[in-house]
Amino acid sequence: MSTWAVIGAGPHGLSALKNLRAFGIDAHGYERASDLGGNWNYGAPTSRVYESTHLISTKPFTQFPDFPMPDAYPDYPSHWQVHRYFRSYAEHFGLLDHIDFDTEVVRVEPRDGRWEITLADGTGATYDGVVVANGHNWWPKIPEYPGTFTGEVIHSADYKSSDVLRGKRVLVVGAGNTGCDVAVESAQNAKSTLHSTRRGYYYNPKYAFGRPSDQTADMLLAMRLPLAVRRLLFKATLRLTVGDFTRFGLPAPDHKFFETHPTVNQQLVYYVGHGDIAPKPDIDAFDGSTVHFVDGSSAEVDLIVYCTGYLAKFPFLDDGWLNPDGDHPVLARQIFTPEFDSLVVSGLIQPDSGQWTIAHWQGALIAAYAALRERDPVAARSFYERLVAESDVRFTGGTTYKNSTRHYYEIAHQDYLAAIEQDLQQLESVR
Amino acid sequence: MSRRKSTTVMRMWDWAAPPTAAHREVLSAVPADWTEESRSTRTPPILFIHGLAHGAWCFAENWLPAAAAAGYPAYAVSLRGHGDSGGRKRIGRTLMRDYVHDVMQTITELPQPPVIVGHSMGALVAQLVAERYQPRGLALLTPAPLQGAAGIMSHLARTRPLDALKVVVGGTLPLRAGALFPGLDAPVAERYVDRLGRESPLVQYELLLPRKIGPVRAPVMVMGTPQDQVVDIRAVDVTAAAYGVEPVWIDGIGHDLMLDAGWERPLTLLLDWITESC
Repeated sequence: MSTWAVIGAGPHGLSALKNLRAFGIDAHGYERASDLGGNWNYGAPTSRVYESTHLISTKPFTQFPDFPMPDAYPDYPSHWQVHRYFRSYAEHFGLLDHIDFDTEVVRVEPRDGRWEITLADGTGATYDGVVVANGHNWWPKIPEYPGTFTGEVIHSADYKSSDVLRGKRVLVVGAGNTGCDVAVESAQNAKSTLHSTRRGYYYNPKYAFGRPSDQTADMLLAMRLPLAVRRLLFKATLRLTVGDFTRFGLPAPDHKFFETHPTVNQQLVYYVGHGDIAPKPDIDAFDGSTVHFVDGSSAEVDLIVYCTGYLAKFPFLDDGWLNPDGDHPVLARQIFTPEFDSLVVSGLIQPDSGQWTIAHWQGALIAAYAALRERDPVAARSFYERLVAESDVRFTGGTTYKNSTRHYYEIAHQDYLAAIEQDLQQLESVR
Repeated sequence: MSRRKSTTVMRMWDWAAPPTAAHREVLSAVPADWTEESRSTRTPPILFIHGLAHGAWCFAENWLPAAAAAGYPAYAVSLRGHGDSGGRKRIGRTLMRDYVHDVMQTITELPQPPVIVGHSMGALVAQLVAERYQPRGLALLTPAPLQGAAGIMSHLARTRPLDALKVVVGGTLPLRAGALFPGLDAPVAERYVDRLGRESPLVQYELLLPRKIGPVRAPVMVMGTPQDQVVDIRAVDVTAAAYGVEPVWIDGIGHDLMLDAGWERPLTLLLDWITESC
C-alpha cells in the first residue's frame, strides 16, 4: 500500500485525505492549527474569516457532492455553519484519526523517488507522495504608495469584527468580496467610509430572477447559452435592478462581465446610494493623515483597511518545483506540478462559483491517479506527462481574465470540471 | 449491454435547480452500546430504503428490531411523500433525484458510512446514491430493473390492462397482497396493503427508462425471489451482472421479503453478507 501525506486540513486537505483513503491509499494529514477547517477555523492564526463572514455562493455547488450540507442550513451559510459542516464530514468519514493537529510541516524534500517530510519539532516521516493543501488566502498582499501614512493600517487578514471601525474615518481599499463586506460594515459602524478601487466592477446581487444568483448562472450554463447571451442577461439584470453604476459615482466597469472574479454584494451599492460609502479611485500618495487619490481629491483618514487579497506561499517547498520559469505556480489542471509526478497541489484555484464541489473532484482525481500509480506506474506516468504537457491550458469559460495576481488561479468552474471528468474517465479506462 | 458508465462529474441541474427540502421520517433500532464502541471496531449502520408506495414502516415491522438484536444499528428513511415524511402535497412534482437527495441527507446524519439496502424502487435509489457516495456496502433486494420497466408494463398491459392504464394516466401502480406477501394471513396482509400510499407519477415514468450506473466502490449483493410477481426476475440477473456478482435467490417468499412470512431467511443472509464482506 502506498503512503501519501496531505498538508493542511482545510476543505481541500480533508477531501484529498478522504478520497485517497477511499481509494485504498494510506494517507495521513498534517495541520498546524489545533482544529480542522483551515481558513474556516475562525480564530486560528491563519484563518482569514471575520465574525460576519457568510458564503457568497450557495449550497448546491459549494458543498461536497458526496456529503451535502444539511437542509436546515440557509442558502448562504455562515462561517460557523461551514466549520460545523467540515467537522461532521471529517467525523463521518473517520478522518480525525488520520490527522496530526498542532503539527506544522516545515520542509518537504524529495529523496530517492519518495518524500521526506520534516515537522516543526524536528521529527519527520517518509511518503510516496505529497498533497499540498495549505491554502492560498493567508499571506496578505499589501500595496505600497509614496509618502507616509500616520494613521492606523490593517490588512483584512487581521480584520475580525467591526469593532475596529467604530467611530473612525475609514478608508477601505479593494473591491473584492472582502473589500465590499468591510466597506458595508464600515458604513454601518464607522464615522465615515471611503472605498478606493482601481477600476469599476460589477457588483452582483445575491439573488436574481427569484433564485440565488449562482444557481441562476448555472441554470444558464445548463441551458447551454453562449457566453455572449449570458453576458447580456447578467448585464440586463444589473441594469434592471441596480441601474447605471456611474449614477452612484461608482466608476464604470472597464471590462466585460466574467473577465474578473465575481464580486457578490447587494449591500455595497445600497450604502453608496445612502451616502454612507463614498467611492474613491486608486490612492496616489500619503501625507500624514491625509490620503491623496489619483483624481486629485484628498481626505483625512483614521484607519485604512487593505482588502487587497493574498499571495500564494509554500514555505516548505522550493518555488522552482511549482514553476521553474516564472514567479507564480503554473500547474497542470491546477494540480500536477511540473517537476515531480508525486507532488500535487489541491486548492490553488479561485473558481467563479462555489468551491468544495471542485475540492471533492480534485481529491477524487488525485486519489484515482495515486491508485493507478501504485497499480500501473507506466500508465500513471504517461497520464502525468500528457497533463503536464498541457500545463498552460487555462479554464476560462471562453473569456479572458484581467491580468492581475488576483486572477492567476481563476477558473470557470464548468470548463474546469468538464476537463476533470474526462481525466477521471481516462484513469478509469486503464484496467 | 453494459448497464454501467464512468464517473459523472457534471451535474448541472443539481447545481442550478437543487431539490427542495422535505421533512424526513427516519425510523431506527440501535443496539444500546453501539455508539460507545470505538469507531474502528463497531459494526457499520444499515440504512434501508423502501420501494414504490411503501414507507420506512415496512422495515420497522420486522427487520429493524431483528437487525438491532443481532448487533446492527438499523435505520430506515421514508422518502418524501411516503410514510410520515413530508412532501405529500408535492408528490405530483417529485422526481427520483428528490429521493436521492432525501437519502443523501439521511446519510450525512449517520455517524459513519452505512451499508445501504434498497428494496425494489428503493434499490434504484440506492444505486443512484452509491454512484456519488461510497457506502460500506450496497444490497439490492428484488431491484427495480436497470434496463427500464417497459417490459414489466407490457406484461402488465396483457395481464391486468386496467392497472396498466392507471399507471399510464399517473395513478399509483396497484400492489396486491398476493404478490407482495402471499405467506401472510389475510387480516395482517390487508393491514399492510392499507398502509401503502401514493407514488409519484413522474417517478413511475422514470422507472420505465433504462439507467446506467457509475462506478460503485463497495461490495454489492443482489437478492431476488424466483416467484416475484412485481419486478421481472430478469431485472435481478441484469442488476447482478452489472456489478459482476451472482444473485442470491430466496425461494417461496413474496416481493416484500421484509414483511412476508419467512422474513428471517433473507435478513439472516443479508446480515451474514454484511459481516463477511462489508
